[in-house]
Amino acid sequence: MAGKVESQELDLTKLDKILSRYEGQDDALISVLQGVQAEFGWVPQGAIEHIADAFQISPGEVYGVLTFYEQFYLTPRGRNTIRVCRGTACHVRGTNANLRTVERTLGIKEGGTTNDFKFSLETVACLGTCFLAPVMMVNRNYYGKLTPDKVETILKQYD
Amino acid sequence: MGDITLTINDAPVTGQDGMTILEVARENGVDIPTMCYLKELSPIGACRLCVVEVEGSRNLVGSCHTPITEGMVIQTHSPRVVTARRMVVELMMANHPDNCLVCDAANQCELRQVAADLDVGLPSFKLKKHYYPIEDISPYLVRDLGKCILCQRCIRACDEIAKQKVFNLAYRGFDCKVIVDLDQPVDKEVCRDCDVCVSVCPTVALRKPKKQGEEKKGPPLILSQ
Repeated sequence: MAGKVESQELDLTKLDKILSRYEGQDDALISVLQGVQAEFGWVPQGAIEHIADAFQISPGEVYGVLTFYEQFYLTPRGRNTIRVCRGTACHVRGTNANLRTVERTLGIKEGGTTNDFKFSLETVACLGTCFLAPVMMVNRNYYGKLTPDKVETILKQYD
Repeated sequence: MGDITLTINDAPVTGQDGMTILEVARENGVDIPTMCYLKELSPIGACRLCVVEVEGSRNLVGSCHTPITEGMVIQTHSPRVVTARRMVVELMMANHPDNCLVCDAANQCELRQVAADLDVGLPSFKLKKHYYPIEDISPYLVRDLGKCILCQRCIRACDEIAKQKVFNLAYRGFDCKVIVDLDQPVDKEVCRDCDVCVSVCPTVALRKPKKQGEEKKGPPLILSQ
């Protein structure tokens, strides 16, 4: 599944630096994985095996943790992350049309990443800004009261 | 190691310190159904089939992993317990494939035995089912995850008895499944033929390969003229 898209060689020194921060802590697996993701943007397959060795557990166990939590990515992510809200308020105000616009403009589906690694698309249950419905986020920026036209202009602002 | 006295189904019984409710009950001839529990493996209380009612406890407790305490009052077959067990099995059956009639496990299937014993019948839920491809590339092991009920016996047996850790649990919710390595199909690289997991699987999610309907060696039965 993962691995195939491993774009560059895995920098093991960076990985070891993260591991050394938690040396001797058997319960630090999630912290290490979060560190790896902060460093690389995703969790490469090579890292999984290396981390498993360091914790003396099987790679499958690490994989179990990785797939359980939504926050971990096993494929490289785009430079910008789009989060389209699918909460009740946004749904009623027509977020589906916006989501379809994003999907059509970028040519990716929910959970996907564009081939040029410019965007990754996610949907979330609520962004907590229902008064702006329908909402989406790009990186740390909120965009409210969206229409498909607005979505297209917003996407053009990012590189 | 002191003796502990407790009450199971209104009868006073004694057990040793450190025993679980299930162990004491079985020792005294009380039959509590189980699914994920095997006495050779560490109890995890995953299937909830062994739940019992303990006086003073708000929820039903899993008897396979709950140690006994002095003066415990336990009901193993109260209406509340039996209802809960039936529901557990009904939910398991609801996303289990409907092919019992042609299934290899037949009457050996523990899920079917337990369903029959609790008189569950056809599930009243219409749930999504799992459609996984059957993994039959390994010469030692055939895996049909559609029939897996996630009891985790194979995971524990492989870890605790065979000391291999081939299996693991991954993904979440409906997608939760037993994986091999980093979610690869079972092949002969990851697993040899120790068969421990096959022997503990309650259904036939794990089984030995067979050669049904294949050409057999020997002279043809009808010789052409």
